[in-house]
This record gives sequence, structure tokens and C-alpha cells, in this order.
Amino acid sequence: MSSVAVPKRIFPTFDQVFQGFASQIGMLREMAPPPSLPETVRVRRAIDTLIAETNADEAVWLESCIRCGQCTNACHFFQATGETKYAPLRKMNLYRRVYQRELGPFRWWYRLVLSPIKLSDLEELQELVYDSCSECGRCTMVCPMGIDIASLVHHQRSALVAAELVPPELAALRMEQLHRGTVFGASAETLRRVVDTIREQAGIEIPLDRERAEVMVLSSAVDLVGNCQGLLATGKVMNHLGVDWTLCSDGFESANFGLLSGDMALWKKQVDPIVAAARRIGAKTLVIAECGHAYPALRWNPMLKGGDLPFEMMYMSEFLGRQAKAGRLKLTPIEGRITYHDPCKTGRRGGAFDEPRALLKAMDADFVEMPANREFNWCCGGGAGIFLLERATHLRDASFRIKMQQVDATGAETVVVSCASCRLNFESGRQKNHWGTRVESLVELVAEHLGDEPHTGRVMPIRGEAA
Amino acid sequence: MTLLDFARGPAIHWSLIIMATGTIWRLLGVLVLTRGADLSRPRDAFGNFKGYRTVFSRAWPSGEFTTATRYQTAMAYVFHLATLVVVIGIVPHIEFITRLTGASWPGLPNAAGVGAGVLALASLFALIARRVSKPAVYCSTWGDYLSWVLMAAPLVTGLMAFAHLGPRYETMLAIHILSAALLFAWFPFGKLMHAFWFVFSRAQSGVAYAHKGVRI
Repeated sequence: MSSVAVPKRIFPTFDQVFQGFASQIGMLREMAPPPSLPETVRVRRAIDTLIAETNADEAVWLESCIRCGQCTNACHFFQATGETKYAPLRKMNLYRRVYQRELGPFRWWYRLVLSPIKLSDLEELQELVYDSCSECGRCTMVCPMGIDIASLVHHQRSALVAAELVPPELAALRMEQLHRGTVFGASAETLRRVVDTIREQAGIEIPLDRERAEVMVLSSAVDLVGNCQGLLATGKVMNHLGVDWTLCSDGFESANFGLLSGDMALWKKQVDPIVAAARRIGAKTLVIAECGHAYPALRWNPMLKGGDLPFEMMYMSEFLGRQAKAGRLKLTPIEGRITYHDPCKTGRRGGAFDEPRALLKAMDADFVEMPANREFNWCCGGGAGIFLLERATHLRDASFRIKMQQVDATGAETVVVSCASCRLNFESGRQKNHWGTRVESLVELVAEHLGDEPHTGRVMPIRGEAA
Repeated sequence: MTLLDFARGPAIHWSLIIMATGTIWRLLGVLVLTRGADLSRPRDAFGNFKGYRTVFSRAWPSGEFTTATRYQTAMAYVFHLATLVVVIGIVPHIEFITRLTGASWPGLPNAAGVGAGVLALASLFALIARRVSKPAVYCSTWGDYLSWVLMAAPLVTGLMAFAHLGPRYETMLAIHILSAALLFAWFPFGKLMHAFWFVFSRAQSGVAYAHKGVRI
């Protein structure tokens, strides 16, 4: 339990937020666009996408599998169900077939012995690369060949975008972000409204559209149309630190349904205005909200030449963790045992391990690692958009039991997460299983435990690894 | 030309030519493809080089997976090491390599060679038994079984020839050499190529993760 009194809430609690989201997600299925292209065109487009996205890296990985089955030990969906179709090595099969027939060094032979890809093959693939793979990369940790199956799965998502086979919930949000630039209707107007509400009701100033600022902070749809507490907490912490910061109404959304669905063009389209806004205001640091996949979408975006950017990108936990490590963020102690769940996209596939732990240390927490932690952390089962898929509910629920066992093994009363998707999935699992463990967001926890007097002077962002 | 002459002559020579040509073709066919560029800024300027250690570190499973992988790791190590001892350690094989390349080294006593052969075969059976008993885990293809048969055949026929079992010695020896020829000829086309791929595959992933500051 927190040692600090919880202030009066002006926004719903997270379990109410979760209930609200669940009903919104239900509506998405009806909004999904039906396929419009002829079958042969859809198949051809999927194949062409895979051909275009296959470089030597992908080819080597596809060639390397010896079907030793070790990856099944690492996959939460296989371990939770025992169903062979969820074995990670099977998730490469269709890609390998396309590669062997179209690109591989023995393609003249494989064209004779392997049947061409049909639409039904792609329809079957949908469950394997969306519903039952959160691209968490745990299988790579055990593969004796070190195959990065998650990245191969991602290419297949791109192929299914081309084949108009994105699952309905992701398809609806992809179309919304593509055509209206919003997610769950979270527009610039919504952002302004939430900022006003936070100022009026909580007395916390969220700088919006300042012309110049050292730090540009992103928000996310989950924060704006559901858990506004996240943005409130961000404002509280940033102001406490005395950071010269702002949000920009023309580039505030962390969520990227281009990345989640596999639509590379939308991925880029969504990132460009954020980069432009950060350049315009002269930001030195871009802080990504607690939205796990936004980290690879921005910080590890392979299409964005990071070295040429005038600013550094970091995840919220990284930014705050560096402040804590530098002694600039003093936090009050937190009571009770705590464990931390590394979101796959910021942990194993992002490398932000130490900073969130530095924050918990700054709270003098009785912190206990889960049996499998950091690079070996088990995915909660909701990542890479899976939380949104109704059809994947049984898979999510089954694999979440592994996560609960991991948390329970620590004896922790609270599990801290730093990703809205993980948090929603934990909340779902908590409610379904009547689980007594508290689920907390890292930034909200920090906001509740701000210790010393607020800084009055300007705080320079802490840059680089040494920080 | 006797069967033994055929086996020792054209059969083994052509199989080696197929193996060398096929291996080079398959490696080049993949490695000439362009490399995708990751333009994002690495977490640590020189960190990417650390990724190459995955080529070596992945030779042993991490502690997290020790229990789950114990059986397979043990059997795979026994199989690979024992097979290596058999291939380069016993006198007739050294004589064959000497004829081909001129290089020579002292051989092992017969008992050690037979022991290694038996170990290699036993571990190979231990591996296939597990593969067959857990189809959900292994997702085997016909190529996996063919590779297994072609790998087991030279071990079985070699041990039979040494023990003077089966047909008369010359015929058994010819069969042994032919089985090895089949193995060589199959090498570039199936999963035995992992003998080369593992270096590239591990290095690529090691570097990709090291770029983000993650050690895999």
C-alpha cells in the first residue's frame, strides 16, 4: 500500500477505464472495412510484400530452422495451450514457402514441389501472426540458431495488410488512424479538452503547443479517452522536475496502428508529424508515453535515421529513471512488496531495463524480480495489438495464467507495469481471475510518491547512457 | 568396376562435388541478397559489436531454459562430438582424407572409434525417439526424417563393416561408402546446412538485439 494519501480522483479508476475500453473494442468489429480486392490480387499483393521485405537477414533465418522444437519452451501461447499450431517454428512456415518458391537459391525445385499460396493459407495465417504472436521475441532467447521469429511474424503481418486480412479490430483502428489521424477518436480537440480539465479540476498545468521547449512529451489514446490519470500524472511529475516541456497538438499520439497492423506506410505517416513537431519546437528530448509499442515505433524505427535527429527519444520510464539515477527525482518510500513487469517492446525488444528499476529503488521499494525477468520475462499475452482482438480472448486468458504464476512467486502485493496495453491486459486478467494483486502504472506511481520540494529552475534533460 | 570401386571412385567423388557446389550455391544465393538497414541510433555506439558474441554464447542454453532443454542439449552435444571423432579420428577415414588432400594425422585405437560410433548412433536414436514422441513440439517435415536416415546410415553401415556383420566385407564397405556419399550429396539441400547457417543466424540476431542494448 502506498504511504501517501491518494488525492481525490477526477477521472475514472483504471478498472472503470478497462470496462469502458472493452465496450469500445466491441464496436470496432462492426467498423472494420470488408475486403475490396479480387482474391488473386490479394494473394499476389501478400506475396509481393513478402518478396519486397525479404533481405539476407530474413532469408538466413528462414533457412536456419532445424525444427528442434526448443522455441515451444519459450512461447506463452504454446505453453498455455499445448496446441501444436501455436509452436513458434510453425509461424515461419508460410513465409518460408513463399521464400523458397520465389527467392531461395533452389526456387526452380521448390516451384515444382511446393504448392502456390492460396487465400485460404493466408486466412489461416491470420490467427498465427496476429492472435497468437505478440512479437515478444522470447523464442529467440532459446533458439539454438538465434532466429528472430518475431521479426518474421511482423513481415507476415505486412503481407496480411496487403491481402486485406487484418483482424477487424486492428483494421478498424488502422483505417481510423490512416484517414482521420485519430485513435479511438482521440483528436487534438480531445487533447485540449483533457488538458483543460486537468488544469481546472486538478490545478495541474499541462503545457500545450508551446513554441519552444526542451522536452516534447507524447500522450496516447488510452490516456485521452480513458485513463486521463496517466496524463495528469505525467504533468505532475514533469512540473515537479521543473522540466521545460510541452505537448504538441499536431504530434501527440504514441499509439501507432501502422506498426501494430503491419502497415509500414502508415507507420511512417504517423511518425512524421511527431518528428516535425519536435524539430519545430527545438526539442532535445522526445518522451514517449507509457505505450509499449510506441517505443519501437519511434525510438527503434529502422526507417528513421536516429543519428541525424536533433533530439533523443526515450520512453517515459527511461526519462524518469535517468532523473532518479542522477538524484534529481527524490521519491517517498512505498510500502509492501513490489515486482515489475517488463513490457516486451521496451524490455527484451527495447533494452530499457535499468531505468524503471531505478525508479522503484528510488521509492525504496521491497522490490522482488519475477523468476523469469528482464530479457527472459514472460509476455502478459496482450501485446502487439492482441489485447484488442476478441477472437484471441481465450489465448490471452490462458497465457495470462503464466504471468500470474510469475507474479505470485514473488509474493508481491503490487505489480508495476509501464505500458497501457500490458496494464489493460493485466486489469482484464485481474478481474477475470479475481486476482488480489494490485496493478500500477509506473508514471502514476511516481506521481503519487513525489518527495522533495519541486524544482524551480529549469532542468536540462539528461542525455546519453552515462546519465 | 566392382561396387567397391564405384563407391570409392565416382560415387564419393561426385557426392563431394555436389556437396561443395550445392553448399556454395545455397550460401551465395542467400548472402548476396541485400541487407536491410536499421537507421535507428544504437543504444551504445560500439554496442553492436557485442552482438557477435551470440555466435558463441548460444552454443549453450541460458540458465532460464536449462531444465527444458537439458535432454536435447546433452544428446545433441554427444552426437556432434562423437560424430566428429568418428569422421576425423579413425584410421580408414584418415586414409581417405589423406588420399584426397595429402593431410595426415595419427588415428585412434579401434576401440575408441567404435565407442564413438556407438555413442553417436545411440544419441541419434535418442533424438529421433523424442522427435517422434512429441509431434506437437517438433512439427517435423519429411526433410527432417530424411536427414536423420541419411545421417544414421553411415554410422550403422560403418559399424557393421567394422564388425564384419551382414554381407561380405567388400560389399558392406561399399555400402558404407555409398551411404556416406548420399549424406554428402544431400548436405546442401536439407537442414544439415545449419552447420553454416548457425554462424550467420546467431550473429544477425545478436547484433539486432545488441543495437537496442539487449544481450541475447
